[in-house]
Amino acid sequence: MTLDVTGFYALLRREVLRFVRRPRNTFVPPFITNVLYFSVFGVILGERIDQIAGVRYILFILPGLIVLGAVSNAFENASFSIFHGRWNRYIEEALTSPLSYTSMVGAYVLSSATRGILVGALVALIGAFFTTVGVARPFYLVAFMLVITLLFAGFGVVGGLWADDFDDLTMMNQFILRPLVFFGGVFYSLNEIPEVFRQASLLNPMIYMVNGVRYGFLGVTEVDPNLSLGVLSALTFVVVAVNIVLFRRGYGLTD
Amino acid sequence: MASAIEIRGLTKSYGDVTALDGIDLDVPEGSFFGLLGPNGAGKTTFINILVGLVRKSGGTASVFGYDVEADYREARDRIGLAPQEFNVDRFFPIREVLEHKAGYHGIPQDDARERADEVLKRVGIYDKRDTRFDWLSGGMKRRFMLARALITDPDLLILDEPTAGVDVQLRHELWETIVDLNDQGTTILLTTHYIEEAERLCDEVAILDSGRVIEVASPEELMDRGTDDIVVQLRDNPTAVPDFEAEDDRVESVELDGTRLVVTAHQGGLVAPDVVQALDDAGHEIVDLEISRTSLEEVFVEMTRQGQGRATMEVEQ
Repeated sequence: MTLDVTGFYALLRREVLRFVRRPRNTFVPPFITNVLYFSVFGVILGERIDQIAGVRYILFILPGLIVLGAVSNAFENASFSIFHGRWNRYIEEALTSPLSYTSMVGAYVLSSATRGILVGALVALIGAFFTTVGVARPFYLVAFMLVITLLFAGFGVVGGLWADDFDDLTMMNQFILRPLVFFGGVFYSLNEIPEVFRQASLLNPMIYMVNGVRYGFLGVTEVDPNLSLGVLSALTFVVVAVNIVLFRRGYGLTD
Repeated sequence: MASAIEIRGLTKSYGDVTALDGIDLDVPEGSFFGLLGPNGAGKTTFINILVGLVRKSGGTASVFGYDVEADYREARDRIGLAPQEFNVDRFFPIREVLEHKAGYHGIPQDDARERADEVLKRVGIYDKRDTRFDWLSGGMKRRFMLARALITDPDLLILDEPTAGVDVQLRHELWETIVDLNDQGTTILLTTHYIEEAERLCDEVAILDSGRVIEVASPEELMDRGTDDIVVQLRDNPTAVPDFEAEDDRVESVELDGTRLVVTAHQGGLVAPDVVQALDDAGHEIVDLEISRTSLEEVFVEMTRQGQGRATMEVEQ
């Protein structure tokens, strides 16, 4: 067992160093994007929008932007790292080692979730320059951030194994992740849209994530946070278990 | 002697294409074992099954007694692989790549750093330790592939075409390093297109063709199966020479062209004295004698050609 702890740590370290040493690719883009979001949506448009759910618009969108940054970076990190490793075949350095499949998945998921959380923190920091940010429910904030980044890192592992070329990675981000986020209540309240769209929105898992993190920051939510946390935790568990099965079966990894 | 690799009935199919067709093979512990075969014979598929990059369709494969699927962690921990294709992490300088690889094998970070420096010195690219793989020259890349295979101090070193595209000097240096490792007890499994490499280095070779092992023998044994040419230059211009074919089973053919006599025989070195004696007894004066030994390459080409013929016949049936 000792052997695997060292191996797991080595892969985790490699994965974290990969994104830490390339800030131009990993941290600068979300920094610029979020400065733009806060400037345009928060300040310029936000000044013209009334309070939503009892808070100023810029504060209302802040948790959503944190979720957007965190989950998309967690997803992108896992999918890119695994796909790039497959594309250039250096993932074989890990695959031909005595690392257990659970350790491999654990290292990819944890490192990607770490990037997601770091980007989430970066977005919060940017938000703090534009408005005063408080944390109403610290436990829920930490729990939701952990669960959603782990979940999307798990989805990213599946994406990285499934993709056949770089276009597939872009497609997943543009056509699946981004619509889910934009219709996930980041920029608007569920109470302000027609009932039929409201009901349809409840099928979007992003609603629960955004509301969970919003509850952590502001103490207000449009859905039950405990139920959301439970469902998301269960889903994360299932996705990571699927990751391990895929690695064990060599899906996308072996001939 | 215990087996480093034990293979029974190993098969691998990709849809309708059979890459490995029921292989049985034992590679003794401590041996220097060669795997020869034409392109597409199944050599790389075979190796990749051992390290888990290809899933077998049937049969069993074990490394030092550990099944490559059921006990994959134990099996993989004993193998160092230098594949033909470069599959190196391009994000990090090569020393860090080695440290990571060592880490995956459970070697703590401080120890991994020491080992990385040691193997880089051993293959002569320590000066390039802070360089990324892409910036190394072709020869240095080959050296690095060997270094990465050695970082975990493997019991079984698998080298897939280790000297492909390298110059003569580097080839000899790599050979020296590999022979040293074998002398220290590391089992070596080598695939190569350079038959000379197998002839020079291997204790035993398996010839693989169309997914089957068609022969396992020492290079010497294989060469004995080929024929050598004993070329004798005579002073006189004889009309007839002794009937060597009738007198010695090892003689395959005799050809007389003026003063030049060519006797084609198995184990030419042993047959030559008898030929000289018989010519002398018959009163012929010999002015020159040369034995042209068969090469492993010729035997290999002959055997794999037979294999292709066999495959064609099977298709026709």
